[in-house]
Amino acid sequence: MSQDKATILVVDDDIDILEQTCTILQGAGYKTIAADGEAEAKEILNNQRPDLAILDLMMEHMDSGFILSHLIKKMDPSIPVIIISAVTSQTGLHFDISGQGERSWIKADAFMAKGNRPEQLLGEVERLLG
Amino acid sequence: MLTIEVNNKEINAHQGETIFSALKRAGIRVPTLCHMEGLTPSGACRICSVEVDGFHNLIPSCSYPVSAGMKIKTHSPRAIAARKTIIELLLANHPDDCLYCERNDNCELSRLAVEYGIRERRFKGQRVHKDLDVSSPSLVRDPEKCILCGKCVRMCEEIQGVAAIDFIGRGSHSRIATAFDRGLNLSSCINCGQCIMVCPTGALREQSHIKRVIDALNDPDKFVIVQHAPSISVTIAEEFDADPGKDAVGAMTTALRRLGFDRVFDTSFSADLTIMEEASELVHRIQNGGVLPMMTSCSPGWVKYVEQFHPSLLANISSCKSPQMMLGALIKSFYAETQGIDPQKIYSVAIMPCTAKKFEADRPEMSRNGIPDIDAVLTTRELARLIKQYGVDLKNLEPDGADNPFGTRSSAGKLFGGSGGVMEAALRTAHYMITGKEMNDLKVSPLRGLDGIKETKISINGLDVGVAVVSGLGNAGKLMEQIKAGRNDLHFIEVMTCPGGCIAGGGQPIKTNPDRIKARLKTLYKLDSQETLRSSHQNPDIKRLYSEYLGKPLSHKSHELLHTHYTERDILL
Repeated sequence: MSQDKATILVVDDDIDILEQTCTILQGAGYKTIAADGEAEAKEILNNQRPDLAILDLMMEHMDSGFILSHLIKKMDPSIPVIIISAVTSQTGLHFDISGQGERSWIKADAFMAKGNRPEQLLGEVERLLG
Repeated sequence: MLTIEVNNKEINAHQGETIFSALKRAGIRVPTLCHMEGLTPSGACRICSVEVDGFHNLIPSCSYPVSAGMKIKTHSPRAIAARKTIIELLLANHPDDCLYCERNDNCELSRLAVEYGIRERRFKGQRVHKDLDVSSPSLVRDPEKCILCGKCVRMCEEIQGVAAIDFIGRGSHSRIATAFDRGLNLSSCINCGQCIMVCPTGALREQSHIKRVIDALNDPDKFVIVQHAPSISVTIAEEFDADPGKDAVGAMTTALRRLGFDRVFDTSFSADLTIMEEASELVHRIQNGGVLPMMTSCSPGWVKYVEQFHPSLLANISSCKSPQMMLGALIKSFYAETQGIDPQKIYSVAIMPCTAKKFEADRPEMSRNGIPDIDAVLTTRELARLIKQYGVDLKNLEPDGADNPFGTRSSAGKLFGGSGGVMEAALRTAHYMITGKEMNDLKVSPLRGLDGIKETKISINGLDVGVAVVSGLGNAGKLMEQIKAGRNDLHFIEVMTCPGGCIAGGGQPIKTNPDRIKARLKTLYKLDSQETLRSSHQNPDIKRLYSEYLGKPLSHKSHELLHTHYTERDILL
């Protein structure tokens, strides 16, 4: 998929991060759909199918990102999902998807800590969009 | 020389030295959590305080100079009580998660608490939640465990010349942070991990890849390959209580097989390969008016340092990938092709002495077609934990050798583990490439040892080749300023990020100290003096790799797999 046509759903309840992420993606030629939480993302997903989704984890609920990723994968398993979260920083709990056990319930293709450099985010997006 | 009285006994002291230094020489141990040999005293922890006649208050011995006739009591009831109180105050708001702490078997704060008999919480301080910094690909910072000794700050600034972290805030709000408190990943941190090596508590640790390696080992669809860096075999045994400098390469190889790795390769092989490419590049630059001095590119902390702080010198850096990444690229190309294995099914693990290698493996240039050349990097410490977790007794294993085709190495490749080793190996091969003859004496004595800056001239075919070997980026920074100011008598510079080289890397055992580093280096030299295959260009497996696959050094295939490029790095904060 050529990157100037890819549409990316970005969900984060921190408006600054939401805007930053969208700006970085737009700068690289992607179209973005922004949602400031789980509820708004669900509404968007009723009508639109993004080519990739970038989700915060802890929003209205502690597991909003997990819920959204399940929803997206149920809708279309081919849509890549990246979860970007500060959960480890704030709680000390580590999540990753390197093991089959985790992958059976975390329906994401990448799990990243918040505080990424733009090239790291874009690298993951490019990798997952092929 | 002057005389002071310590605990009713006269000892000699040097004019201008600190009380702490005189005591240490006299064999009197005063505890400290903040002192760093050779660096500016900070007097931060006050645990080294002693009683001095004529002074109302206790005096921090690490930051107070001796004077003639001074009468000192190092372990008087008052001094001991004060030390105990300081430790209790440090513990007052320290997390109580020692059972889960990375440093639970080697925490200096915990050791002192035991030494001073602290078995109850006399002071209960307010615990303030501080977020972990897990943003870096190499390091994790846990500010709640920080005791503000400032050793990491001084290491980063005074030894490494990076200054990615410093104190912010005042009084009880003081803490150590990156610029604008935005996390190590966005800072100028070069990922060397030397801060971990000086941290007395669990406030700093590596970003662990143990779990992902275990997951790969348990995945029946993965073909898991491991490589081990030249310095690992001379440090890993220390984690199993062996004498410093013991070479455990055979037992370690057996242990890696017991853990379930399908193939075990020796990174010293690709160090030989690096030398073939790097020496060829040096000869090409010298003979064709290329950019000089050429500088080594094996140390990823150094490379990031140049990208950030000296981008005008990027053309001086060799285009060669590091041995880790050269072998990583060959495993998923040459090896996968010849063995008929899908590169996507290969999981490539590197055991490295270095936390910056985790960052290097993550670099976008180090992958092809979306497949990373290296999937996980374990430090020496992580490998030791993994071996223990799998119940493998390293001390009682029959030694075994690495697998072909990347198992044979020269002792030149092994020398990569210490400061000066890359240079010595490169000179042996460059001399052969230019003259067709071996050097008369393969040992280049002026480049050996642990000095931070070593220089010499080597005559090759009438050309005096000026070479310099630097370890510790503070030293490298000084040399870079000389180069920028027009110094032009050097042709080749080796830089290793960590003082002493990889044997003292940020991923090595926490118990690393100058004596242990010396013992490790001595072992590398001993191996070099005892072996017959001492030059990279004589390695038969290297010759075979070129004849069967790569063609010749600097060939198109070599450039595609073994070389890379670096660009100016924007330090966001």
